Amino acid sequence: MATTVVMPRAGISVESCIIGQWKKQPGDKVSMGEVLFDYETDKAAFECESTAEGTLLECFFEDGDEVPCLVAVCAIGEPGEDVSGLRPGEADSGGAEPEAAPAADVAPVAETTTPATVTAGANIQGVSPRARKAAEELGVDPTQASPTGPRDRVIVRDVEAFAQSLKTGDGFGGRTFGEMVAPQATATAAPVDVEYVDEKFSKIRKTIAAGMMKSLSEMAQLTNHHSFDASAILAYRRACKAGGETMGTETITLNDMVLYAVSRTLLAHPDLNAHLLNGDTMRRFTGVHLGVAVDTPRGLMVPTIFNADKMTLAQISQTTKELAAMCQSGNISPDLLQGGTFTVSNLGVLGVEHFTPIINPPQVGILGVSGTTMRVKEGKDGTISTYQAMGLSLTYDHRAVDGAPASKFARDLCNNLAQFSLLLAR
Amino acid sequence: MPKSLFIDPNELGKKGAIAFADIPVNQYQKSVTEAKKEDGFKNKDLVRIYRDMTVLREFESMLNQIKTQGEYAGLKTSYPGPAHLSLGQESAAVGQAYLLDQDDIMFGSHRSHGEILAKSLSSIEKLSDKQLMDIMENFLEGRILRTLEKVFTPKSTKELAIYFLLYGTLTEIFARENGFHMGMGGSMHAFFLPFGVYPNNAIVGGSGPVSIGGALFKKCNNKKGLVVCNIGDGSLGCGPVWEAFNFSAMDQFSTLWPEGKQGGLPIVFNIFNNGYGMGGQTRGETMAYDFLARIGSGITPSQMHAERVWGLNPLAVIDAYKRKREILNQNGGPILLDVVTYRHSGHSTSDQNAYRAKEEIAAWQEIDPCLVFRKDLVDAGCAKDAEFDAIWEETRERMAKICQWASDEKISPYVDFANDNRVVERIMFTNEKKDAMEDAKSVTLIPKEESARVKQIAGKERSAFKDGKPVSKMKTYNMRDAIFEPILDKFYEDPTLITYGEDVRDWGGAFAVYRGLDEVLDHSRLFNSPISEAAIVGSAVGYGMAGGRSVVELMYCDFIGRAGDEIFNQMSKWQAMSAGILNMPMVLRVSVGSKYGAQHSQDWTALCAHIPGLKVCFPATPYEAKGMMQEALDGQDPVVFFESQRLYDMGEMFEPGGVPMEKYSLPFGFVNQVRHGEDITILTIGATLYKAAEAADILKEKYNLTADIINLCSLTPLDYTKIVASVKKTGRVVLASDASTRGSFLNDIARNITELCFTDLDAPPVVVGAKNWITPPFEFDEFFFPQASWILDAIHENVLPLPGHETTVSYTPVEVMRQAKEGV
Repeated sequence: MATTVVMPRAGISVESCIIGQWKKQPGDKVSMGEVLFDYETDKAAFECESTAEGTLLECFFEDGDEVPCLVAVCAIGEPGEDVSGLRPGEADSGGAEPEAAPAADVAPVAETTTPATVTAGANIQGVSPRARKAAEELGVDPTQASPTGPRDRVIVRDVEAFAQSLKTGDGFGGRTFGEMVAPQATATAAPVDVEYVDEKFSKIRKTIAAGMMKSLSEMAQLTNHHSFDASAILAYRRACKAGGETMGTETITLNDMVLYAVSRTLLAHPDLNAHLLNGDTMRRFTGVHLGVAVDTPRGLMVPTIFNADKMTLAQISQTTKELAAMCQSGNISPDLLQGGTFTVSNLGVLGVEHFTPIINPPQVGILGVSGTTMRVKEGKDGTISTYQAMGLSLTYDHRAVDGAPASKFARDLCNNLAQFSLLLAR
Repeated sequence: MPKSLFIDPNELGKKGAIAFADIPVNQYQKSVTEAKKEDGFKNKDLVRIYRDMTVLREFESMLNQIKTQGEYAGLKTSYPGPAHLSLGQESAAVGQAYLLDQDDIMFGSHRSHGEILAKSLSSIEKLSDKQLMDIMENFLEGRILRTLEKVFTPKSTKELAIYFLLYGTLTEIFARENGFHMGMGGSMHAFFLPFGVYPNNAIVGGSGPVSIGGALFKKCNNKKGLVVCNIGDGSLGCGPVWEAFNFSAMDQFSTLWPEGKQGGLPIVFNIFNNGYGMGGQTRGETMAYDFLARIGSGITPSQMHAERVWGLNPLAVIDAYKRKREILNQNGGPILLDVVTYRHSGHSTSDQNAYRAKEEIAAWQEIDPCLVFRKDLVDAGCAKDAEFDAIWEETRERMAKICQWASDEKISPYVDFANDNRVVERIMFTNEKKDAMEDAKSVTLIPKEESARVKQIAGKERSAFKDGKPVSKMKTYNMRDAIFEPILDKFYEDPTLITYGEDVRDWGGAFAVYRGLDEVLDHSRLFNSPISEAAIVGSAVGYGMAGGRSVVELMYCDFIGRAGDEIFNQMSKWQAMSAGILNMPMVLRVSVGSKYGAQHSQDWTALCAHIPGLKVCFPATPYEAKGMMQEALDGQDPVVFFESQRLYDMGEMFEPGGVPMEKYSLPFGFVNQVRHGEDITILTIGATLYKAAEAADILKEKYNLTADIINLCSLTPLDYTKIVASVKKTGRVVLASDASTRGSFLNDIARNITELCFTDLDAPPVVVGAKNWITPPFEFDEFFFPQASWILDAIHENVLPLPGHETTVSYTPVEVMRQAKEGV
């Protein structure tokens, strides 16, 4: 009786693998554990060892084919045996787990049935009422789940799987926190009285949670960390304060200056002052509309300074304060909470040195502003001196922008801030 | 079919001719004086005949004025319902009723106000004051009587009874709560059982088959009296009327029925031949008989004792009834009377008389019986002209009062739908059990335990499996036995129970359900009917109205079409149209076929379940069949009992311990959960249950999914409790039956589930039905009827993808759209 060897699952999140090269050919004798072929995921290359002994009767896929995990790749048995029932998609195709989904090119199902291999949140064609209800109970966004229902519908099992992934997905290298602590938990059999209070998410919290998750799960985000000599802006800040009474500039903050610099610098880097639509269209804006992250008692809000590139520093400062006040009091118009083309988030006052801000989709970039730290530098004459450096963290969507142009933007921004007076003069 | 009747080729081959006797035409020619002398009419009888004619005439005149002028006797009033008036036909109706008594019952047509009033007036004359008071006190708990007591003081009980009759009839027509059946029937469905007046009928010819059921009840249960079927000449174009003629005259009444019950049915088919079926002129245009009475000679050797009677002379009609009653007393029925009459008014009040000449109407008005008979009576010295003026005055006075009371909403309120919108719901079904419809002894030929079938059943295994192994077909208690058992028991319990249909006796039913029943019952309780589906069902309706219980059978479900009116308009509606006064203790067995192609393989549960007033069930296991049949037989509501020819051999596969030996019943609404699972709910109707079980096995074995299977053995009523609980649990539901998908009853259930379980659904409910094609030959069954694989296809494509499942039938939106667009 011929048996099949299936494409191994090379990791918990791996859906399919690509066959590199067959090491055995039909007709070859193979023994248990012998390498049949090598294969790769997007992360690593592996070798597939035979799980059966006998003659390799037929390879169902060729070198370079993408094969869903746990789908049969070849049949091994006695020469002359019939393998027709073993091919993937044929009557009793061998032993695939229920969740193994056939790849599109091998799926023999009816013409409109879509294979279930999909990336999270993509191509969702609706959420079943039961899934929606379950999502509400589990406090997750059902549209973030990977749909496995008919015609890419999110069904209840998808929501449950998604909720499970949120619980366990944050460990190192794919290991989960739950797995790591489980043995200890079972070892200490005696129950411990743990006091806690459950509190349901508020609506705004849910919105933030969903937005964050959507952002992280749908984009190729990465963060560059930069810093610049903040002496110029600190000096300018002191000057503003000093001249405040007569000039009305005493409330201008460091962050206002960063906002000003960003609004000017972005004009030269339209790839970052943009939206990425449908994963394949860039919408570049001529004006700069800056989102500003504001911490409120209800949670994070991001109002927009429209046409920041046309505002003076004082106007930016004034507008920022007004928007923040509206957010704090909760009476901000929803219109002011959208339309941003780039966002600035400042955690500097909280002593943060660097962080990885999360992009507000469909924007392609966000700047995280940290506090200043003392650094040393060597002068041209070899003297060592100290200065205040401010950290900037630029998160960008690698789908839209590559590392070099993003870094150029950050470099220009740093230069502009380091020579803030000159920037103002332009 | 019976072996006792030999079809002799020598006899059939003989040369000869069929002889017909003359059919009398208007033979009655006596003058009033001669009638007095020869037939003993007293003056007061003759004057009363005329009095009754004035009541009929004035009642119809009143309706005519109300409909056409919105006013009667100075009172402005109106009503929106129909008025098919019989102005001009009074003499025929009064003559007919003159000799009829309370035991004689009549059924009517859409134009029967006159007959109802005439028969009732005749009964009032014949009943004692005490009998009349009892009737009025007991009818609708004395409601009508209480109202009348408030508005006037009668001179006598008979006077009160006349007012009672006119008021109850008019308020019925006016749709008032004081109507004889709360206004739920109206003009074309009025009747009054205590005076022997059974329903008239809005379907032309509808009373044909129904009234033979009344006659069958009289014959089978040894009841006194005859039955009159009042229909019009227009109804002679209706097939069911001809079926009724033949059914009432079947040879077997004389050749096979037991002593004391021999001879044709005691029925007079009284055709009020007014020359028109609506506007179609019967003689000369739409019919072929020339003389209507001729058709009697096509039905029986006795020519149905047919004759033409001049209906404009009440004495001629009385004479005919006197002679025909004698024939019926000698078991010589059925009788056909061609009673010539003429309606002065149109078919209805909207009739513009476009089809007949003014001269024609004028010619008949010249011989208006209300004029002619009055003159005859005056000429014969029965009464002075002035007395007739007084009669007219009295009649008009009565009618003015009745009209005033019936119009006044304070005296005669409408049923209060605004505050009680379930009023009709309460009269749709009785929902009351009655073990026997009468107390009499049930006549059977042998004790139950001596029945060969009973002994055979006793030796059978009550379950399809014994010690885990299938029991042989012959030894398994099967669907046939499960249907048979409660029916047999009921024959020993209810003396009125009869069963008939095509080939039910010697053959034991085409599918042998009744095998051995002929050993137990004589022909009056179990007989082969002609192939007359309308008459089979219609007569059962009349049998039920008269108070008897029946189980009748249409061999194939597909033959429902042949009994469409009888099932959809008669069987279903009379309980509610009578405000619950009539019950309908009948079970209609229909069998869903297979193997016999497009006209013998259809599941029409949807048609029946769609019709308000029917209870519909479709048991698919012996356990369900026995329990549901018991329930159907114990009740008094009309039940369409579906069976499947795929399942007659089936033993009990689901019920632990098999089918109980003892009597039990399963209530209407019952659904049978035969499998318990977690992942999906499969609802089935009929034989598809077994395909669903197969599908569930595959789901378990290949996909590790478990299913709830719930068989919907009761369709109307239907209790959703278990269904909802299951769907809320699994979130997934597939519904399957052998009915063609479009319009299948499953769609109704799917819709309700969607509403009842919306937030619990993980996918929309999917209906897996047969194709919307004709049923191809049996060889292609698997391409037409739902298979286990189709259920998996539906799950895979619409509910939960099944890895590696290969579909055979597409349930995708594209396919749904295509089929709908192409109408296939």
